[in-house]
Amino acid sequence: MHIEIDEISKSFGTTAALTPVSLAIPSGALVALLGPSGSGKTTLLRILGGLEFPTSGRVIFDGVDATGLSVQDRRAGFVFQSYALFRHMTVFDNIAYGLNARPRASRPTRAEISRRVTKLLELIQLPDIGARYPSQLSGGQRQRVALARALAIEPRMLLLDEPFGALDAKVRKELRQGLRDIHDTTGLTTVFVTHDQDEAMELADLVVVMSGSTTGGKIEQIGKPQDIRAKPATPFVKEFISACDFV
Amino acid sequence: MRRPLIHRSPIPGLGISAGITLTLLSLVVLLPIGALLLNGALAGPDRLWTEVNTPRIWASLWLSFRLSFLAAAFNLVFGVALAWVLGRYRFPGRRLIDAAVDLPFALPTAVAGIALTALYAPNGAFGALARDLGFKIAYTQTGIFIALIFVGLPFVVRTVQPVIDEIEREVEEASATLGATRLHTIRHVILPMLAPAALTGFALALARAVGEYGSVIFIAGNLPMQTEIAPLLIVIKLEEFNYEGATAIGIAMLVISFVMLFVINGVQVWSRRRIGYV
Amino acid sequence: MSEITPTTFRPASEDSPAFRIALTVTVLAVLVLLLFAPLIAVFYEALRKGWVEAVTSLAEPEALAAIRLTLTVAAIAVPLNAIFGVAAAWFITKYDFRGKAFLITLIDLPFSVSPVAVGLCVVLTFGANTWIGASLVEAGYPIVFALPGIVLATMIVTFPFVARELIPVMIEQGRAEEEAALTLGASGWRTFLTVTLPNIRWALLYGVLLCNARAMGEFGAVAVVSGKIRGQTATMPITIEMLYNEYMSVAAFALAAVLAFLAFLTLGLKTFLEIRHADALAASRRH
Repeated sequence: MHIEIDEISKSFGTTAALTPVSLAIPSGALVALLGPSGSGKTTLLRILGGLEFPTSGRVIFDGVDATGLSVQDRRAGFVFQSYALFRHMTVFDNIAYGLNARPRASRPTRAEISRRVTKLLELIQLPDIGARYPSQLSGGQRQRVALARALAIEPRMLLLDEPFGALDAKVRKELRQGLRDIHDTTGLTTVFVTHDQDEAMELADLVVVMSGSTTGGKIEQIGKPQDIRAKPATPFVKEFISACDFV
Repeated sequence: MRRPLIHRSPIPGLGISAGITLTLLSLVVLLPIGALLLNGALAGPDRLWTEVNTPRIWASLWLSFRLSFLAAAFNLVFGVALAWVLGRYRFPGRRLIDAAVDLPFALPTAVAGIALTALYAPNGAFGALARDLGFKIAYTQTGIFIALIFVGLPFVVRTVQPVIDEIEREVEEASATLGATRLHTIRHVILPMLAPAALTGFALALARAVGEYGSVIFIAGNLPMQTEIAPLLIVIKLEEFNYEGATAIGIAMLVISFVMLFVINGVQVWSRRRIGYV
Repeated sequence: MSEITPTTFRPASEDSPAFRIALTVTVLAVLVLLLFAPLIAVFYEALRKGWVEAVTSLAEPEALAAIRLTLTVAAIAVPLNAIFGVAAAWFITKYDFRGKAFLITLIDLPFSVSPVAVGLCVVLTFGANTWIGASLVEAGYPIVFALPGIVLATMIVTFPFVARELIPVMIEQGRAEEEAALTLGASGWRTFLTVTLPNIRWALLYGVLLCNARAMGEFGAVAVVSGKIRGQTATMPITIEMLYNEYMSVAAFALAAVLAFLAFLTLGLKTFLEIRHADALAASRRH
C-alpha cells in the first residue's frame, strides 16, 4: 500500500512533537525512521497506526484520506517496542486475537483460525510454541510472536516501533534478517522506527533521518542508505551518522 | 545435607526478636485457638456433630455463607468497577473517594451496624422509600446482605488497584490495532488481567463477611431459621453456658476459614505460575 | 466509514465518554447509598435533638466510663502489638530460618477468624470454668468479664496489623544498611534505633494507626468476653449497643459519632501518610 504523509504536525499541549513533515512511502517498501530520541519518529509511526491524531495535516493511504480512520479500521499491523503481548493468553491465542475479535459475520471459522495461526507460527520459524505463555519465551521469541500477531489480521501495512530495541546484539542480528525475509515474503509496506543507524542502513530500502528540536521533530533527509552515507544532506545527518559509526 | 534450622547471621537481636515473637504469638494466638481445638477434641467428634447437627445451626451456617458469598460477589463486580473509575478517570473529588473506600476498615462495626439500621429500617430514610415500594430491607436477609457488602467493600478495590496501575497502555493499544472494539478489549484483555487479584479480594471479602458480627446483628432481626447468622449462635450458646455447642460452631467456622485461606493461597500460586504475576 | 475530527478522536486506551459517565455515576450512586449515607446518618441521628442533648449524653458517667475503658484497652493493646510487630518483622526479615512462611501464616491467622470465635477462644482459655481461669479468679485476677480479657481479645483481633505493614517494607530495604552500621562498630540497639527505625517509622506509624482504629472499634470479640457490666467492662462499642437496644438513640449515636470522628481522623492521617510518605510505604502498598 502506498502511504503519503502530507504536512503532518503534532503537539502535546504546549510541547511540539512534530513540525509539519511530508513523506511518500512507495508500496511494498521497507522504510526506516531513523533519529535520536525526541525526533518525533515514534509519534509519526503512532499517527500512521491511528494511535495518535495529528494536530494538522493528512495521512493518505492509496490515494484515500485516512486521517480520520479509526485505529480498529486502519488494519495496520503494529509491533510495539515492549511487544505488548497479552500475558494471560497462550502464544496461539495471542496470534488468533485479531481474528477472534472480528464481528461474527466476518470472523473466520475456528478451523480456519487454527490453520492461519499454524501457518504464521511456521512463518516466524517457531512452530512448536503455540501452547506456551509469553512469560515462558525469550526476548527474541516474543518479538517474533508480536510480529505474527500483527500479521494475523492481514494488515495493509506493517509498523514497528524499535523492533530490536529490547534485544541483545546477537539476537538482534538474527532477527534483522528475519524481518527482511518476512517483508519480502509478504510484500507489505513496512515502516520501522530505530535510533540505530546500522540497523536502518542494513535493513531498509529507504531511510528517513529525523532530528528533534524545541519546535518539534523534523525530517532532515530521505534517501537510499548508500546515498545518505555518501551525501549527507545536512550537518545534522553528517554528524549523526559519523557519531554512530564509532558505536 | 539438611538445611540448618536457622542460618548464622552477623546481625544481633536474634534472641530478643525471636523471643518476643514466639512468646507473644504463643500466648495471644496459639494458646486461645489451641484451647478451642482442645475443647473440641475433649468433647469428641460425635458430641460436636450432635451439637452442630440441628436445623437451627445448619440454617445459620447456610445463611452466613450464602449471604457472604453473594455480598462478596457483589463486591467483586463493584470493586473492579470502582477501582477502574478511581484508577483511570479524572474527576473532582477522586482523591476523597479513594480515601473514603477504607471507611469500612476504619469505622467500628457497631457504628456501621446502627447507622445502616437507622437508614434502612422501615422508619429510616431509605427504608421508608422501600416500604412505599412494598418491600422491607432491615430485619430481613436483604439487610444482612447490605451490611456484609459494607464490611467487604474495600477488599477487591485495594487488591485490584495496583494491578490496574501496572497495565501498560500499549497492551490496550495493541488490542485496538488488531481491530478489537473497546468493549472487546475490556472483556478479553483487561478483565482477565485483573481476575487473579480480584479473586484474591473476593476471597478476603468472603472470609471477612462470614465472621462478621457487629455490623450485622443490628440490621439482621435475628430470627431463628430466618435471619440468624452463625457468629450470633456462638454468642447465644455462650449465654446459655453451652460451651460445647459454642465450641462446635466455633470449630466449624474455623475449619471453613482455613479452607478459604487455602483457596486464597491456591489462587495466588496458580496465577503466578500461569501468568507470572499476581 | 465515518470521519473522525480531532475533537472526537479518542486514544485507544480510553473508554468512550458514555461508558465513562455511566460507570462513574453508577459507582458513585452505590457509594452514596452504602458508604456516605450511613456516615451522615450517624451524625444526623446524634444531633437529632440538638447539640446540647448529644453532648449531655456523652457526659453521663456510663459514657465517660466507656470512653475511659476504650482508651485504656487501646493504650495497652496497641503498644504491645507494636512491639510484637517490630520484633516479628525483625526476626522474619533479618534471619533465614526454616518455617518462615508458616510463621507468617500463623501471624496472619487472626484475620481469618471471626471476632466472635476469638472471644470464644478467650473464654475457653481463661473462663471461670477452665482450670487456668478458675485459679486466676481464686487468686483475685479474673480475666474474662474483666479488663485483661478485653485487652487480650482486642490484641488477638489486631495482632497482625503492625507486622503486616513492616515485613514487606523491611524485606525491600534489605540488610545492607544494618550490616554497614555493625561493621562501623555500632551496637545492635544503636543500629536498630539509628538505622532501622528511621527507615521504617512511617510504615510503623501506618500499622499502629490501623491497629488502633480496629482496637478502639472492636465489637464481636469484646462482646463475648466483656460481660457487659455497665461502667466497668463496657467499652464504647458495647455501650453503643446497650444504649441502642434501650432505645436511647441520641446517646447511642452521640457515642457512635465520637468513634466515627475517630475513623475520619484515622483515614485522614492514613491518606496523608500515603501521599506524603509514599516511598516509605511503597512496598506494602503493592500487595
